[in-house]
Amino acid sequence: MQAHRPIGAFSFFGRYRVIDFPVSNMTNSGMDRIYVYVRERPRSLTEHLGTGRHYNINSKRGRLQIMFSEKSLVNDVYNTDIADYAENLDIISRSHYPYVIIAPSYMIFKQDFSALLDTHIESGADVTLLYHKVDNAREKFLNCDVLNLNKQKGVLSIEKNRGNTKDRSIFMDTYVMSKDLFIELVVQAQRLSSMYTLPQILNLNCENLDVRGVAHRGYFATITDFKSYYDANLSLLDLKQAQDLFDEEWPIYTRTTDSCPTQYFAGSDVHNSVIANGCLVEGTVENSVIGRCCQIKKGAVVRNSVVLANSVIGEGVHIENQVVDKWAQIIHAKEVIADPDKPGYVKRDDTL
Amino acid sequence: MKQNNMLAMILAGGRGSRLHELTNKVAKPAVSYGGKYRIVDFPLSNCANSGIDVVGVLTQYESVLLNSYVAAGQRWGLDTKDSGVYVLPPREKADAGLDVYRGTADAISQNIDFIDSYNPEYLLILSGDHIYKMNYAKMLDYHKEHNADATIAVIGVPIKEASRFGIMNTDETGRILEFEEKPAQPKSNLASMGIYIFNWKLLRKLLVSDMKNPDSHHDFGKDIIPTLLNDGRTLVAYQFKGYWKDVGTIDSLWEANMDLLDEKNELDLNDPTWKIYTEDVSALPQYIGPNASINRAFITQGCIVKGEVKNSVLFTGATVGEGAKVIDSVLMPGAIVEDGAVVTRALVADGIRIGKDAVVGSADSENILLVAKRVKGVE
Repeated sequence: MQAHRPIGAFSFFGRYRVIDFPVSNMTNSGMDRIYVYVRERPRSLTEHLGTGRHYNINSKRGRLQIMFSEKSLVNDVYNTDIADYAENLDIISRSHYPYVIIAPSYMIFKQDFSALLDTHIESGADVTLLYHKVDNAREKFLNCDVLNLNKQKGVLSIEKNRGNTKDRSIFMDTYVMSKDLFIELVVQAQRLSSMYTLPQILNLNCENLDVRGVAHRGYFATITDFKSYYDANLSLLDLKQAQDLFDEEWPIYTRTTDSCPTQYFAGSDVHNSVIANGCLVEGTVENSVIGRCCQIKKGAVVRNSVVLANSVIGEGVHIENQVVDKWAQIIHAKEVIADPDKPGYVKRDDTL
Repeated sequence: MKQNNMLAMILAGGRGSRLHELTNKVAKPAVSYGGKYRIVDFPLSNCANSGIDVVGVLTQYESVLLNSYVAAGQRWGLDTKDSGVYVLPPREKADAGLDVYRGTADAISQNIDFIDSYNPEYLLILSGDHIYKMNYAKMLDYHKEHNADATIAVIGVPIKEASRFGIMNTDETGRILEFEEKPAQPKSNLASMGIYIFNWKLLRKLLVSDMKNPDSHHDFGKDIIPTLLNDGRTLVAYQFKGYWKDVGTIDSLWEANMDLLDEKNELDLNDPTWKIYTEDVSALPQYIGPNASINRAFITQGCIVKGEVKNSVLFTGATVGEGAKVIDSVLMPGAIVEDGAVVTRALVADGIRIGKDAVVGSADSENILLVAKRVKGVE
């Protein structure tokens, strides 16, 4: 899936893109100066974000800016978050806002950042980090950073989750600090080593800086690989989880495609699924997430799958445990079934 | 307005009294249709898709919601420079007191200054209470080809229904020879759709003199069109082929919604080349529960379906509880059908709650039941 777009631009849960979550969290929190860092394949993301108007950013006082950075072709180790920030440091230093809040574009969660900022300021900490306590860190979140905290929630160190303990405080790649401190850290990282990332430079400074952790509660998912993408989508088929993440008072905005409502024909059989608008459903859909404008033809069976927008599941086709990328058509292949532990992927624009 | 030099005016002032409680607080064009739309989205989207970018919406009755709804021109893409949707309620003027719009023609007459400020060559008059898709630019081409003074869009209706409409009698070239309002013995089956294109200069003259006429009804059908015919002007009929539905009664509004369930629905809201735009709502995609059963339905974002839905249309945020049944019905935005309730042949108004195990409507009712008040559940 990354062949076509960065994770932030991945379609999620029928009508969203992953980037909608951090941006909506920010605009709902009253933040209207937002910078989105993009390094490669920016087309889907920039098209989706546009001017940011649909996220409810004030058209005069607010700004959503997309910050490109050159991807190093020499060596991938140079492609760090610090490198992205360093390349745009002039813009950051010129901004008149005293604080910086950084949020990841590959995690799904709801968070009031203005409340987090208040907590940060009240605590007097230099840096506040958001984390989520989990008890399955042995099997999940293996590509994430974890925080080691003392009893007062002070951060002792930040390290990679090596899957050796089940109870961990997963770092949500969300930081609050003063703009000046942020710039200092970026400059320091560059000086010390081109390979340093922000978590690493922060880890180095845990002793001389007051770094505190704040716990996040509520739905939380990370999208770091194909399986976690598949799992995150299907986890929201649990209505309670979905209603926790999607709150009427905290809308998650996205770009509309003006699709009409979905039509269910006689003979359609749908259970425990979430269907976006614009679809034509004639077949069977179970435990699946269907994106906009899909066609599930007569006799088709879709189970435990995530079907992205504009796809066609042809007559009599049976798919299970798949992620079907946009514009794909599964017509000739009558059975596309994968192992539940290893869901399959049907390429974008592909015809099977 | 440069594209075709035509300005559109949507007549959206009516009470829509035959929609009863649905129009208690809002004007008819603001009434919901088709799961996620409002009736006025159709003429507005048609204008936007036809390249008409200046649209006046003439409102009068209970227009607060409608006013704020249409003012957001960007919803239909009518927000480029020099374009826009303008709400035009009756207003007090320097030389006249505040007055309501006394008729369809009077509504235009009282806004001559608005139209003059754009100085269009053509004026398109639309009613705001029909469901249809139409390319008005094609109608304008027809008007120009025939060198007409006025063009009236007509649609063929079954001859036995013709007496309900304003009927146009034409010659082979499409020229209108006669216009009869609700004729007992209709001479043709071409019914006026209430959609007109006029050469503005000519219409302006007629409106100015019509305003001064105390015997006039100030109505297009009753006064302006007959005057044009009597003066020997060139009026032509533009034949429209396609879906066109008046939604002025509860039954017809329900029918128009049910039409969306047809496999070969002529309206085809799915057609990407002629989208109907509406307000963008932040709502989850529809959730269909583990015990749900859906058979012929049209369902939109924000809906939660845990029970049975058959031959029904569910609007934004409508919910159907466990064990509940919704059959041959229309649930308007936010309608809630609680667990075990049964709703048959009904139109449930916005936000109305049908309590647990309640039974509403019946399969053999002659008319559709409008449910506009909360229904208590069974204890």
